[in-house]
Amino acid sequence: MIRPRGRMLNTVCSVAHHHFNPSSSLVLPTTTTRSLSLGQPLLQAAKQPPAVVPDNRVELFIDDKRVLCEPGTTVLQAAAMVGVEIPRFCYHDRLSIAGNCRMCLVEVEKSVKPVASCAMPVMKGMRVKTNSVATRKAREGVMEFLLMNHPLDCPICDQAGECDLQDQSMMFGNDRSRFTDIKFEGKRAVEDKNIGPLVKTIMTRCIHCTRCIRFASEVAGVDDLGTTGRGGDMQVGTYVEKLFASELSGNVIDLCPVGALTSKPYAFTARPWEIRKCETVDVMDALGSNIVVNTRGGEVMRVLPRPNEDVNEEWISDKTRFAYDGLKRQRLTLPMLKNAQGVLEPVDWEAALTGIAAKVSRVEGREIAALVGGLCDVESLVVLKDLLNRLGCETLCTEEAFPMNAAGTDVRSNYLLNTKITGVEEADLVILIGTNIRFEAPVLNARIRKAYLHNNLRVAVVGKKTDLHYEYDHVGDTIQALEQLANGEHKLSKDLAKAKKPMIIVGSSSLQDADGAAILANAIVLADKLKSGSSSGSSDHDWKVLNVLHRHAGQVGALDVGYTPGAGKIKELKPRVLYMLGADAGVVTRKDLAADAFVIYQGHHGDAGAEIADAVLPGAAYTEKSATYVNTEGRAQRANVAVTPPGMAREDWKILRALSEFIPGASLPYEKLEDVRHRMADIAPHLLRYGAVEEANYFKQSHALVHGSKRPSHSGRALAPPQTVLEDFYMTDSISRASRTMAKCIQAARHHKTTKYSVS
Amino acid sequence: MSLVDKLGNLIRAVKQNGGLFKSIRTFYFTDDLKWGTHVGTDKYGNRYFENNYYFMGRNRWVLFNDAFRLEYDGSQIPPEWHQWMHYTTDKTPIERPPVQHRWMVQHEENKTGSSKDTYYPYSTTRTKIESWMPKNLR
Repeated sequence: MIRPRGRMLNTVCSVAHHHFNPSSSLVLPTTTTRSLSLGQPLLQAAKQPPAVVPDNRVELFIDDKRVLCEPGTTVLQAAAMVGVEIPRFCYHDRLSIAGNCRMCLVEVEKSVKPVASCAMPVMKGMRVKTNSVATRKAREGVMEFLLMNHPLDCPICDQAGECDLQDQSMMFGNDRSRFTDIKFEGKRAVEDKNIGPLVKTIMTRCIHCTRCIRFASEVAGVDDLGTTGRGGDMQVGTYVEKLFASELSGNVIDLCPVGALTSKPYAFTARPWEIRKCETVDVMDALGSNIVVNTRGGEVMRVLPRPNEDVNEEWISDKTRFAYDGLKRQRLTLPMLKNAQGVLEPVDWEAALTGIAAKVSRVEGREIAALVGGLCDVESLVVLKDLLNRLGCETLCTEEAFPMNAAGTDVRSNYLLNTKITGVEEADLVILIGTNIRFEAPVLNARIRKAYLHNNLRVAVVGKKTDLHYEYDHVGDTIQALEQLANGEHKLSKDLAKAKKPMIIVGSSSLQDADGAAILANAIVLADKLKSGSSSGSSDHDWKVLNVLHRHAGQVGALDVGYTPGAGKIKELKPRVLYMLGADAGVVTRKDLAADAFVIYQGHHGDAGAEIADAVLPGAAYTEKSATYVNTEGRAQRANVAVTPPGMAREDWKILRALSEFIPGASLPYEKLEDVRHRMADIAPHLLRYGAVEEANYFKQSHALVHGSKRPSHSGRALAPPQTVLEDFYMTDSISRASRTMAKCIQAARHHKTTKYSVS
Repeated sequence: MSLVDKLGNLIRAVKQNGGLFKSIRTFYFTDDLKWGTHVGTDKYGNRYFENNYYFMGRNRWVLFNDAFRLEYDGSQIPPEWHQWMHYTTDKTPIERPPVQHRWMVQHEENKTGSSKDTYYPYSTTRTKIESWMPKNLR
């Protein structure tokens, strides 16, 4: 009597609640006292014709809780919808289902055997018991088998404290084992594999979940890892001793549920319970991957990814994860000033700022120039611009160039990744122009590969052929090929024009020289052509086609606050004072400046910039300041303070603010970081809308400007991205150049090329 | 021991130390006034005395070179005299000169506490942050 009434109540509620619950699942206990007491009015409501859209969702019961879910959902996923966590080792949300660890066994009514819930699709009326005697016994049995051959080396294991096997044996395991090893045969022992300088393997700990293998072949796109042998002799490895040659290899460390794959640079340095965690963003590429910086005693111990579906899912590149040791080497920790003999010597802050102010005040504003690098945060960029504008200086440039013909950077949609990173999953065609996206944005490349595998995404490449870990149509090497494509004359043109949701991704690395204008103009024309072709067929008129992929985390922020891309203006001007804010690419040398030029370098690493400087001001790196970065999509994100800047180094905006005090008539009105942020909001309000993408949509105007003017001429050179092979990936900025781990990676990648096991 | 004997010892000590004023000076520097046989002088000018009238542990003593004044220290005794002072041997280095080997280093007093030449221990571990230095300071 009770049960049917309860069910009716649930149907009614599921209709009423459907708007609020986008996860298309709804859960209510089948029998509650509430349903009995409220039974009458709801029964009346149920008599009305149901306003439900035809629903093919499957109803099942997990621990007597009712779940409605799409057919094809697994029992484990259905259980997660009602908050029932089923223990698992091999199952992972973003990988294919293996079903080989057996830890997720559950009892299903009317099933003779326990069922592996991660691999079992839901069926109508299924009654799953995740905490019954049979289920518990099954789990305990599996755990007993796993621990039979798992070493008891938790005290010396790096995974201890964050180990799935540890946690689950405490939660779901038995308190004793029947395997007593009375013949003293010992546990299974497996030789460790050397798979490179990043991932340390202790293969005896491996429980054969195969997550690493599936990650390598599905996400990273390298079939390096696999298994040999069967049963107790099964081994996970690379078959032959070779490098796990992937730019995403570090993610297998996070995926490994036990301590079989751990971080080599982090080995034996810290324990998870000693660590403080700081959620922040990465600056190693322009994607702004979300990361957690783990620190202990004012020292960065490691960097882990933080899930963000819109940016990095839960992957990060090896540079993001392992370049942190660069934050501890080659650091600028003391202000320095050249003395009367012309040699840099450490001074205190007051002397440094006084000395700089004296030099700056001596020249006129128009003889000053500023050059900013790729790792600058928006706060310091705004303060520097305000300071120099007050002095009458208008030459503020970024090191990274961008063509300024036609609309240039005046139109924001010209320089953003407009379709956003998630747009890749909707798109049906991606045309990569002059970018090796695998190294310029490895996580985005993983996303493209995912769409390639699951959505039949078609990829076309204009530029040098490189291994992107998926198949693509190669349009051509040169700018002519791009031009042909833009004019619709290429043999692939017709084919590509059929795309409903095309994306063009132009790599900013290809826009650096004089040919950049032609490349961008052709890309804009091509984008307009594809857009008009696609919008006739599709309903999505808001679909944006043109995307620019930047290489540096600070570039979009600098363009947003009005910096001029490229150092061309500085080279024309030959300034007498140059203020370099983290400019380490070596774009401007002493030859480009006046003979008596005074060069100020402010930044966190002693690199190309500090080498030519007359005054050095130690700033903070991205882990050491609360700062805003705008990623290549135009998404403002905030980095937080994980550790304090080393030595005498200070946050960059504070240094500039202090300097303004020493220059007569230039004192800036900001007292606190909030004041700087107010100023940022005055310039561009989206800079404070953290996490959100400020969209831009001026493609028509941009295209009209390109169309109106003559298409820029070009040299017809080949589009060759600067990073082509794995060893090019590791050192791209002042932090990664200072990193020992990255140096070891390059060494390993170079050695790998000489072995017969390297693919390319 | 009678008061007369004590008085006799005092007079002998004062006499050996070179009169009343010099005895007061010795007492001021060493907090002690003794008489005994001058058994030898080391290369630093420290004078060594012995008098078995005093009981064991007080019967051998040193009067440091006057140049040291109050800045004297036990480590200023060279090892050969240290041997005799600590009863390792009853033969003074004068009676049995020490063997000089080529590998023996020159004796040096303990410099701890002096304004210069003090030994300072240093850390052998890497600093958490390695600073960049301009070329001229590297």
